[in-house]
Amino acid sequence: MTMNGHETFEELISASLSDDLTDAERQRLDDHLDGCAACRGTLAAFADQRLIMAGLRHVAPPRDLAARVRTGIERGQFAAVPWWRRPVTIFAGIGGTLAAVAGALLAMFVLNGSPADPQVGESSPTPSVTVTDPTPIPTGTLPVIPSATPDASPIGTPVPPPPSASSAESPVPTPSLEPPVPDVVMAASGPVENFALSAHDLTDGDEETPIEAAPVDDSEVAKAPSGPPIAAELSADGQWLAFVTEIGERGVNDVWATRLSEAPESDDPEASPPIDSPVAVGETVHLGESVAGGPFLERLSWSRDGRYLAYTLADPETEDADADAWMFDASEGAVRRLTEVGNAYAASWSPETGDDGTETPALWISTAGDEPVSWLHDVARSTEPIDPATDALAEAAGVFQPLLSPDGSMAIVWGGQMTADADRSWIFAADGAPYLAAYDRSAEDGPFVDASPLFADLPAEGELFTSASITWGPDGDAYAVWDATWTGDDAGAEDGPYPDATRVYFGHASDDRRLTRDHAIDSGDIDPAMSVVDVELAPTGGHLLITVREARGGVLDAPRAELLLVTRHTGSEPDEVATVDSSDDGWVGPALFLPREQPDPDSVAP
Amino acid sequence: MALRGPITWDDPAVSGGAARGRDAEFAQIFDEFSAPIHNYVLRMVGDHDRAADITQDTFIKAYRKLDTLSEATSTRSWLYRIATNTAIDDMRRRRMVSPMGDDAPTYANRPDLAPGPEAQVMAATLDERVQRALMQLRPNHRQCLLLSDLDDMSAQQIGEVMGLSYAAVRTLLCRARGEMRRALSAEGFAR
Repeated sequence: MTMNGHETFEELISASLSDDLTDAERQRLDDHLDGCAACRGTLAAFADQRLIMAGLRHVAPPRDLAARVRTGIERGQFAAVPWWRRPVTIFAGIGGTLAAVAGALLAMFVLNGSPADPQVGESSPTPSVTVTDPTPIPTGTLPVIPSATPDASPIGTPVPPPPSASSAESPVPTPSLEPPVPDVVMAASGPVENFALSAHDLTDGDEETPIEAAPVDDSEVAKAPSGPPIAAELSADGQWLAFVTEIGERGVNDVWATRLSEAPESDDPEASPPIDSPVAVGETVHLGESVAGGPFLERLSWSRDGRYLAYTLADPETEDADADAWMFDASEGAVRRLTEVGNAYAASWSPETGDDGTETPALWISTAGDEPVSWLHDVARSTEPIDPATDALAEAAGVFQPLLSPDGSMAIVWGGQMTADADRSWIFAADGAPYLAAYDRSAEDGPFVDASPLFADLPAEGELFTSASITWGPDGDAYAVWDATWTGDDAGAEDGPYPDATRVYFGHASDDRRLTRDHAIDSGDIDPAMSVVDVELAPTGGHLLITVREARGGVLDAPRAELLLVTRHTGSEPDEVATVDSSDDGWVGPALFLPREQPDPDSVAP
Repeated sequence: MALRGPITWDDPAVSGGAARGRDAEFAQIFDEFSAPIHNYVLRMVGDHDRAADITQDTFIKAYRKLDTLSEATSTRSWLYRIATNTAIDDMRRRRMVSPMGDDAPTYANRPDLAPGPEAQVMAATLDERVQRALMQLRPNHRQCLLLSDLDDMSAQQIGEVMGLSYAAVRTLLCRARGEMRRALSAEGFAR
């Protein structure tokens, strides 16, 4: 949309009233006003308006305001919140640095630890925030690790096969290599008490982000992250990091949210105002404890405005599967239980349009069972737990845990018959498979349109998948599937197992062929001794950041994981694999991409 | 109007020089900004009770976040940003729970707290008409206009408060003035 002549000058007229014009702009405006009666009228109207506004009465605050503020401070913002929901300050002192870094630097954050620091068995009530010493990685010189030799890999053939009828055609579009590496990355890690936060800069090896160590002094420190992180999601505005940590060998996970920064500024004058929170930058909130039950329980979903996080907790204290959807409201720093039905899973936020035309998030909640059902609810309207089957905005029978693409146009949904397993979580028992569908809330036959099996070359009935982890790339086109648990007949034949739980399948929604065995990343990309913990797709659509963990020899062994950057190639060209960060005896990952750099307002000042 | 005398903060949980320094700093901020912040919030939401609550929450948050206020940050912009976000959150909550329009202004129905000769009645009438026009604006337009014309902030300062770039503020402010011009016209103001 372009502005006509008067509209251009109206902006200058408006800015002139607060002396926000450059000399050149003022001269240009004066020249125009000399010959334009309409704009002189606008100037007079705006000037009158400013006088009217300035002349409004000033109304004094109530006399008891100071007392009310004092009472509020003394009572404490979280006095009425259960102790386990209260913010736990574990990153005190580093928030300012993070705030400065998160929106501006091309940096990678790594939360990690080392067994050289206090570990299990040592009494360390005050784990400290430590600074890792990242190895500088200059732009374009990431240490590329060639794929393993065929002899080193028991599965598959890492050496590119000669062109054949099946491989001559690229299974996916060749990804764009610009920029050559994902430039903004965040990674989280941190075994046991050594939760640490550091920043790495992938684009400038000389620029390490200083983060000062700060001791933790909080009586609730025992509830600080106590195991390695296995899943993480960043809110769209970059203010919040939600993550899941494992608790030792108990088969239990913790869910957390850390506020990383103040809201970034926007260049869009009509953008929604930023979401504020009583939780200060640098504080971490414990959101709950859950059975560690696989991918369906580990999904974290932020609403697009960054206000709400939806997640699922399965009660570890009960004998049966007892899962319910929960929500963290960042604007209040509070946690809410959304359902009390025992088989409800949080899925994805759907961008709905409110009565006033603004976007209002609603949440897809799925109930597990012989026939799973997904229900769309405006969960923010109610303060009480809801019955998913009552008063839903929409319903999708046979659909479980829809995962909407970032732009809301596509979805990957699960279908099949479910059962509760011995680990007290719900999995698929028959016909279980993910489907790729278009997402259209106005469609007559339901919002998930033209659903097709995500894996195009697998049977559609019988014992199929029980579960798998899935993620979308930020471009809304790329997606990845990993940790696929398959109970059907092996469809891999002599090419190795297929589907293979140790490999990552990488596809694009724009590719009508969906996923096939050829869409697995190269078998040599990941050391056979490692297993995939998490996958994050780069905005480039052609890179994957994969967190891989080493099998532990025993409970006293420290967990270890490293972060790999895989540049995906297809056809005969092998993937490139670089270790983004690794520690011989620490945990690095998962990784996340920070929002792009925001323009500096100073750069456009007159 | 400032408070009558300095306020003291007797939080038993905090003691020592650092805490006293923090409290003194906060008391100074409260003393200087409580009145303009309240006035700004009142014009934003158009309701005395809500304005008092939002102002109260603003200063409670400010106290908790005082450590994040650096020398490089303008105290005024920092505080207005907290107030703006708190007011926006309040409006969002009300929109969520009161779809029937509980957000409608009640300002005009409130008794005028000032002395009331005829001149005051006339002034109140004028004031109410301008407030009604303000409430017709979209929230971000209202914020922008108030910060500029009521609190006399520059585009740069408004950008700091609203989290917008300088260029975005100029565009937004122009649109807000255009919208306000139409709203004032509907209230019978000339031009």
